[in-house]
Amino acid sequence: MADLDSLKEAVISGDANTAKAVTEAAVAEGIDVQVIVSDYLIPAMDEVGRRFEANEYFVPELLIGARAMKTSMAVLKPLLADSGVKPVAKVAIGTVKGDLHDIGKNLVASMLEGGGFEIVDLGVDVSPEQFIQSVQESGVAIICMSALLTTTMGSMKDTIQALNAAGLRDKVQVMIGGAPITQQYANEIGADGYSDNASAAVSCARKLAKVA
Amino acid sequence: MPKIQLDPLGVVIELATGASINDALFAHGVEFPCGAKGRCRGCRVRVTEGAAPMSAADQKVFSDEELATGWRLACTMRATSDLRLQLAAYTAPVLADETAFTFTPRDGLGIAIDLGTTTLVAQLLDLSTGAVLAVRSGLNPQAVHGADLMSRLDKATQEGGLDELAVQIHQALAELIAGFADERHPLERVQRAVVVGNTAMHHLFARRNCDSLARYPFESSEMDLSEHRADELGWPLPPATPVFMLPDLGGYVGSDLLAGILATRLHESEHPVALLDLGTNGEVVLGDRHGIQVTSTAAGPAFEGAGIQQGMRASTGAIHACSVHGGVPSYQVIGGGAARGICGSGLVDIVATCLDLGLVEASGRMAHGVKTIPLRDEVVLDQTDIRQLQLAKGAIAGGLAVLLARRGLEPKDLGRVYLAGAFGNYVNQSAGCRIGLLTAPPEHITTAGNTALLGAKLALFEDDLAFTAIRSLVSHVSLKADMEFQDRYVEAMSF
Repeated sequence: MADLDSLKEAVISGDANTAKAVTEAAVAEGIDVQVIVSDYLIPAMDEVGRRFEANEYFVPELLIGARAMKTSMAVLKPLLADSGVKPVAKVAIGTVKGDLHDIGKNLVASMLEGGGFEIVDLGVDVSPEQFIQSVQESGVAIICMSALLTTTMGSMKDTIQALNAAGLRDKVQVMIGGAPITQQYANEIGADGYSDNASAAVSCARKLAKVA
Repeated sequence: MPKIQLDPLGVVIELATGASINDALFAHGVEFPCGAKGRCRGCRVRVTEGAAPMSAADQKVFSDEELATGWRLACTMRATSDLRLQLAAYTAPVLADETAFTFTPRDGLGIAIDLGTTTLVAQLLDLSTGAVLAVRSGLNPQAVHGADLMSRLDKATQEGGLDELAVQIHQALAELIAGFADERHPLERVQRAVVVGNTAMHHLFARRNCDSLARYPFESSEMDLSEHRADELGWPLPPATPVFMLPDLGGYVGSDLLAGILATRLHESEHPVALLDLGTNGEVVLGDRHGIQVTSTAAGPAFEGAGIQQGMRASTGAIHACSVHGGVPSYQVIGGGAARGICGSGLVDIVATCLDLGLVEASGRMAHGVKTIPLRDEVVLDQTDIRQLQLAKGAIAGGLAVLLARRGLEPKDLGRVYLAGAFGNYVNQSAGCRIGLLTAPPEHITTAGNTALLGAKLALFEDDLAFTAIRSLVSHVSLKADMEFQDRYVEAMSF
């Protein structure tokens, strides 16, 4: 019998090999993939996030935790598609136009994936048009924008204005984050959500997706 | 209170009787290569008026003749009576690697300027002897628009911003130069001035368009030497005096690092060596006479004591070092009084000690579930302080790791690692190694002082200021969105 508690433990401690092995064993035994995801992987990443916010964990532990979660998800993904399990919501994420910094963006993407969201990663230097395209073509419910620089954060406002102009603003929630970003800036440009770290971004996205 | 006159600064300082003169001298740009431990001669001063007792360290490092002519170490000297001191750091001929640099004498005077994001230093040199006649330092007035580069560039891309910033820096430097005239130096004899600084500072000084530096691609096509006239800049020099700002190397890595290469002669080295400028914007240079790679990496302000809960600059009241006796740490405070905070070098030392004592785990987490560690007086180390340090040292060590990997080298292959800048001068190297900021063997690490200013001085004696040969060796490596850097950055964050 696969020890699923050790899967949870492996993600929390960032042990990708164990996470993969236990996941494969569980799948071979025919354990419901949705149970693996919602009862073990998501709570494990929640615990990683909790420890990060409590300052017990730092960026490296967050990343190795996310990596362990991803190796497990890689085993489960094909099965999830077959089982008809629905993600919490579909999220498009990108570093805004003019900016190339993506460590924070990647971290948020991993945490959201660990939180049960489906991720469309648009990469870096993402223009307002590309964000709009993701809403039109991929049907994303939430747009997440990241910027590390005071010189590039203005592009977030451009994207929101472009969404307005395209008549899409009420079809999608907008979340922003990054070093120079504040709640005040989010209010100023009319973003729906802001978080100052990757873990809080998950609770913010859940709130916007109305699942928490 | 004893009054101490500092030559050639033309400054008189007043200190409490018995106070150490370190802090006051540090504030005037004197560096203490051995960490003010009385081991080297970097901070030596000559007593020209008054009398200063000899310390044990003085007797060790100076010859009888030197002692008789008044040479003392500033780091072991105390203010007991009125004194007049000549600071060797400023009067010695241009030095590189502790050996006199060979230069071709020229007529007249020259001015070398290190145009920093935070501080400005200008030296007046006699070009026939290489001697420094005077020095002036000040703060970059552009700081009112923000302490970091990006906020300056942001300002520069707004309407009228570039002009405003350019005028600010030209005026501030004009005032420093005017200070030389106050000391009755004949500024009409100045033949040329050389300015160095990072790429952003160059763009603001030369009114170059900053759009492509402020956002993607974070590079500019204008990297060449710029030539100006003193009258255009409003400087109190003969109107046609040429003012050169040296060429930049790539990305944000500017002429200050070109100067660093000149000062360390990295471009002539047979074997690979590294030059690290440890600041808010950390710069890493790796190379030898066959090729040089440069990169810049955002380390954040932890090395300057900013962004730390009780952080402060390296001044009176800052815990700057830490040592362990019988398993019990003790903390040293600049000035010797009560501790008021932690400076950058203190943070490195404290964390290294806490790692050794098992108070901090390799992940950076404090052991035993605590969130703060009391140090001395009211000063505590906070868990978030360690996180800030992890980000800073991860950026530097990760940047160097990428450059090393591209050449198939390991840290131990570096014949020499030069540390530039004030923090690099002060940091305890073994503590720097312990926390993983410095990855090369400790015996290969050398403090190099203000290599930007030193290189600018050397350039004053050169004919070809385009430095075409050196620049053809240099390639700039961008770490932004480099997946390998992200991995190494994260790896280097742990202890």
